[in-house]
Amino acid sequence: MKLNRLATAAIAVAATAGLAVGLLSPANAAPKTTVSIVQSNALTGINPGVSSQNLTFNVDVAYLSGMGFTYYNNKASLVDNTAFGTYKVVSQKPYKVQYTVNKGRVWSDGTPINGIDLLLSHVTASDAYSAIAGLGDPADADVTPSFDSGGYGGLYEQFVVGLPILSADKMSVTIEYSAKVPDWRLLSPGPNAVHAMVLMALEGKTKLGTAAENMAAKERFYKVFQSYDTAALKKIGALWSKAYNINKIDSSTNPLLLVGNGPFMIKSAVPNGAVTMVRNPKYNSGPKVKALNTVVFKVIGDGTAASQALKNGEIDVYAGQPTADAVAQLKAMAPAVKIIGGDQAVYEHLDIRVGPAYGTQAPYNGPFAGMSQKAKDLRTAFLLSYPRAEIIEKIIKPINPTSQLMNSLMSFNAEPNYKELIAKSGVSKYTEGTQASRTAAALALVKKHYPDAAAGSGSVKIKLLFGQPSNTRRVSQSQLAKAEWAKAGFDVDVTPTSGWSSYLEDPKYDVAFFAWVKSAILQSGNVGTYETQANYQGYSNATIDKLYKELGASPLTAAQITAKYLQVDQELIKDAVTLPVFQHPSANGVTAKLMGVAPSPLSPNLIWNLWDWYFKN
Amino acid sequence: MAFRKDKAPVDSELSGEQAIFNKETEGLSQGQIVFRRFVRHKAAMTSVFVLASLITMVFTALETKIGPWTIPGWWKHGFEELLDLRTEGCPPGIVGCPTIDAVPSFIDGTGMGLGMHPFGQDDIGHDYFAMVMRGAQRSLYVAFVIGTLAGTIGITVGAISGYFRGWIDSVLMRFTDFIITIPSIIIGSVVGYHFGNLGVGFLAFYLGLFAWTGLSRLVRGEFLKLRELEFVDAARVAGASNRRIIFKHILPNAVGVIIVSITLLMSGAILLETALSFLGFGVVAPDVSLGSLISQFQDSFTTRPWLFWWPGLLIITIALCINFIGDGLRDAFDPRQRRRLTKKDKENAKVQARNAAANV
Amino acid sequence: MFAYISRRLGVLFVILFGSSFILYNLAAISGDILESLRLSREPNAQQQIIALTRDLNLDVPPPLRYFLWLRGILGVFIGSPDFGLTRTQQPVINEILLALPATVRLVTAATIIAIVLGITIGIVTALRQYSRFDYAMTFVSFLLFSLPIFWVAVLLKEYLAIQFNNFLGDPTIPLPWLIGLSVASGIFWAAVISGTRARVFQIFGGVFALNFAFLSFLSATKWFANPSIGPIGIALLSVGVAYGVTQLSTGITNKAALKSSLAMAAIAVALYYPVQWLFAQDAKAIIYPLMVITLFVVAGVVPLKFTKIDRGPIIRTSMISAFLMGLLLVINELMQTWQPYMETDAVYFRPIPTVGQVNALLEPGNFWMSLLDALVHMFLPTLALLLISFAGYVRFSRGTLLEVLNQDYMRTARAKGLTERTVIMRHAFRNTMIPLTTIMVVDFVSIIGGAIITERIFGWIGMGTLFNQAINTYDLNLLMGVFLLTGFLAVAANLVADLLYTALDPRIRAGSGGK
Repeated sequence: MKLNRLATAAIAVAATAGLAVGLLSPANAAPKTTVSIVQSNALTGINPGVSSQNLTFNVDVAYLSGMGFTYYNNKASLVDNTAFGTYKVVSQKPYKVQYTVNKGRVWSDGTPINGIDLLLSHVTASDAYSAIAGLGDPADADVTPSFDSGGYGGLYEQFVVGLPILSADKMSVTIEYSAKVPDWRLLSPGPNAVHAMVLMALEGKTKLGTAAENMAAKERFYKVFQSYDTAALKKIGALWSKAYNINKIDSSTNPLLLVGNGPFMIKSAVPNGAVTMVRNPKYNSGPKVKALNTVVFKVIGDGTAASQALKNGEIDVYAGQPTADAVAQLKAMAPAVKIIGGDQAVYEHLDIRVGPAYGTQAPYNGPFAGMSQKAKDLRTAFLLSYPRAEIIEKIIKPINPTSQLMNSLMSFNAEPNYKELIAKSGVSKYTEGTQASRTAAALALVKKHYPDAAAGSGSVKIKLLFGQPSNTRRVSQSQLAKAEWAKAGFDVDVTPTSGWSSYLEDPKYDVAFFAWVKSAILQSGNVGTYETQANYQGYSNATIDKLYKELGASPLTAAQITAKYLQVDQELIKDAVTLPVFQHPSANGVTAKLMGVAPSPLSPNLIWNLWDWYFKN
Repeated sequence: MAFRKDKAPVDSELSGEQAIFNKETEGLSQGQIVFRRFVRHKAAMTSVFVLASLITMVFTALETKIGPWTIPGWWKHGFEELLDLRTEGCPPGIVGCPTIDAVPSFIDGTGMGLGMHPFGQDDIGHDYFAMVMRGAQRSLYVAFVIGTLAGTIGITVGAISGYFRGWIDSVLMRFTDFIITIPSIIIGSVVGYHFGNLGVGFLAFYLGLFAWTGLSRLVRGEFLKLRELEFVDAARVAGASNRRIIFKHILPNAVGVIIVSITLLMSGAILLETALSFLGFGVVAPDVSLGSLISQFQDSFTTRPWLFWWPGLLIITIALCINFIGDGLRDAFDPRQRRRLTKKDKENAKVQARNAAANV
Repeated sequence: MFAYISRRLGVLFVILFGSSFILYNLAAISGDILESLRLSREPNAQQQIIALTRDLNLDVPPPLRYFLWLRGILGVFIGSPDFGLTRTQQPVINEILLALPATVRLVTAATIIAIVLGITIGIVTALRQYSRFDYAMTFVSFLLFSLPIFWVAVLLKEYLAIQFNNFLGDPTIPLPWLIGLSVASGIFWAAVISGTRARVFQIFGGVFALNFAFLSFLSATKWFANPSIGPIGIALLSVGVAYGVTQLSTGITNKAALKSSLAMAAIAVALYYPVQWLFAQDAKAIIYPLMVITLFVVAGVVPLKFTKIDRGPIIRTSMISAFLMGLLLVINELMQTWQPYMETDAVYFRPIPTVGQVNALLEPGNFWMSLLDALVHMFLPTLALLLISFAGYVRFSRGTLLEVLNQDYMRTARAKGLTERTVIMRHAFRNTMIPLTTIMVVDFVSIIGGAIITERIFGWIGMGTLFNQAINTYDLNLLMGVFLLTGFLAVAANLVADLLYTALDPRIRAGSGGK
């Protein structure tokens, strides 16, 4: 027994010493190649093209496992992925664009990528193809089309003519459009591993095919596509719509489902839990992966939990829309953690109701109704006394210190034409002087129509719509604003409303503030938002409607676009119907050793350049 | 763990104690005995004192509107009042830090005092003391409404079904099962969505309508047990009405269990409201409750801890007091319960015994 | 009795039908399902609204839509129930089957420990009514009962995970902590054992010194970096277990019981190395069950050597001892896995996690590693649930035991000259368990549906998470799926509680069959 004890003690001492050495010299270790990123929602499927699957995280995972002709960078500009292929306009009349895949690009199973892989995106975006091939009308409210795609009814459908034409060498596809498409660069067809789908849907395979099988399957898809083979397309459609909606992925998952051409491929996914992606060894369809071998997405719904997990080293990147306190917490973790802030392509604005929303019956008779001088004065007064600067200062800057007041509804502050727009749009009346002087001016305007108006008189009763009770940021905003509005004679009801978005067209509310989410940068920009049929405010302006049409008709130069944006901004300011406030801030906590993180304002926000990330030693 | 024999009560000792208690309770009514026992329960009395002072402080702090009348509060700010954010004297990067100073002047030279904003301010300048006071009002209110409503329904349903049994019991208990299955969070979210503007009273009312199930099962269990005992049979034979048996014979015997449950229910109600607020279904802004404050500022834990600790401290204090009072009431109502004799009691008893002997 | 149960079950289905109908309609009107689409500026937002309406039958009013859902459920009678799909096209039944084990794992561990701990402390406080220990525990249990769980969670994560992991970087306990911990345990044990003032000080001093020495030893050897019990520790603890179990189960005076328990301890020590060898073998599916069976067979046979009369209690004693000793060996094996576990890339010397159920990066395949991984992930959430739920058991068991102690039969038992141990363990404890049993059943089930916040904060995917997700995304099929299960369990638990109550307490007449 004694011997045992001595032995144990000796072993314990040796082990401890070994461990101590190990702990004291971690610098010898190679830099990490595994990154853990927090996600607030779980993976629900790996084909975000399906209408029910168009969720942020699904899109992120799909982005990492598949590369196309373009992607957005952190400046919100579209980057051509020349490693994958090129595209150019080959004919102006009729307007034709040719998309060419570079030779030698391969899927993760080794199958070469060619033009045939670009054809499926026509099937899932063209309503006409779906109808002709007997796959169902996507606009039908009762019957789901064979391809349950969320891509129908968009820009592509609006402009595309006929079928895409495959070139003789099968590396290019030429697509004809009915007119010069303003945003033609956004319409590039994405590659799909059609051979895998054919193998699964038409041949019932559950294992990766041989090279010959894969090529044969690809040709088979081309035939099916060309001949509108309804039966085969329906089978592929069923597979495309259903088989990819999996949230559990492990070694038993059909490997054909996981074939991709992106830098990473899914290795495993725990239902509603972590998703592990590993580097695709055959990847050559985009920028080189610098260092990372493994990416783990951990699902943590609670913000505090995520920041504590970061502190505990369980995750390397905390991304989200944190509160001021969460940001302060991240700051307190310095130097182990750095904060990379930024702006999202989401902007908060204040909309005033002018009449009943387009297509609704209930009348609006509130103080802001119509285009009379009185209504305009009251609207102007309301906007003047809206304490935008104070909101930024108190609520937004603690989250992102570089946040600024937004003054154009057309362009974000960082965009090149922003300065020109705000110089000429007339927005300066909402920025000149101090808030006190603006509120005084507002009170004077109200007095014109309500002679007994004074600070706190509550002469004009207003009902504000702005968000869930649980959205504390909006609640704070509303309370700051209420206090200032009161000084201009407005009595504003700022009770938050659950399910508020369903009341956006409700004339019960005179004013609403909320945020628009931009998912792509279009030539028409935000103009569509204020077009008669699209806005919830019941606002109709012939000039804006005309400008919107022009912006959507054909490609314009930057100067022409700016001129039109300016006109829209001027109209909106003149009619005093809306004011922008701020771009939603983002703050990401990142382990200090992780380099290369540069969040983009557009989806897939944080991970757009995951290939550039690396750990320094 | 070893149970030491010498600590257990032994019969000879018991009879002595019993004598003292009998002496003490001579000629007193049940209510008086309960009251005496309760008053003697130190923890409970401390809790009564703390809770009463807290309630007084909380409900008089802010301006209250009752119908057309407005009663001014003793605190200078209202909970919805927007004030300038204080930055001087705060650590760098922190705004609205608390001004309360509990360190006397001979230590740090600044002197004790509440200052401008004793509990600090929130992000946009609300006085946090006023908010905490308001929050405590709402939370106490929620606890009271849920406790009363759920208590009344629970006792009534439990007593009726336990006493009458048969089909009445079946119907009532299946109805209880039915209520049990409906999750309170759904009620919270639906009420919040459709009647959020009606305020916290409405929410409390609805939660109260669904929170009585545990209590009713408990009361039923007690009644089922007690109605089989000899004294109930005796009362029935003597011709007592059902009403009398329920109220005079069974209820007093079950009251200990009931009171503990109700106090647990009340402190549970505060926590339920906190949980609902955490999930976004509780009290609706701009109104606040302790629960909504604590969940709103849960991120402040390391950066502005006062925003997190004050409402937390109040929740704990209130819940603790309610529970201790319940504990005291339980002990006081339990007819078999004996309190521990102090040395003084024993001395007194000896003296009395000696006097009695001497008088003979 | 059978008629009674089947009638109750029949009513159960009627109840579930009614409340599911109400719930379905309430949930359908509790928010705006189209919110994100209304705020989308995508050119085909309208098309997406059409697709969503199509998927979820939004054009059918909720009361009628309920019956569409019910039609799928009623498939249970033809053998193919259809619980529908979630909004993201996953079969609801799959989601639930994946979430349920997680919740059960979390809740079972927390509930069992809470019950054992709560009842133990409840009993001790009742026996020491109005002592300092009683007051202290009353205060602590009320305090814990009053804490919001997300608060507890934040604190636990900060101190028991983040700081503890930092500590493991250099596992020496700083002196103030050494003193603090020793003082705390000194005070605790002095209060529990109590007695005269001198004795209290003796106990305090003894416990303090022991603790201080023990912790210093652990600290000096950096035990926390590479923990193990070792054969010596196993020997000491096994003998302790043998004495303790015998004392509680039959009384230390029962020599046969003590001898057989001690024999079990001897066997445990003798098997220290063989068991370790067995644990390292591959065919776990065969070896482990065999080991468990052997354990109980040996524990059942050995006592026969020591006694010929009154074998029941003695076999029971030796089985409990053997089980606890087996547990010690398992704990020892887990401890030895600790260091390799810490050294994996996935863990990298920060073993206590704050979120998640498993470490996604850990290579599967190593049984002990995976078990340890699962256990460390359970640590904080279990502790949080435990802290706030055990207070209730303390209060209830204390109250019930106090009531029982005042009953006449207790006096009778004592008058018969039974030992205090017999009176407490056999007469008082068993009667205390009657009401507690029924509370436990209902409690257990209610936590299954109610661990929403715990699961959210600790990143667990269980029934609570599904429920919360269903409410927030207005996912009616998912909500109803979760509801059917939790609602069924809740009602069934009450039925079980009722039956248990009548079975345990003969004074209550069975069922509600009238007079």
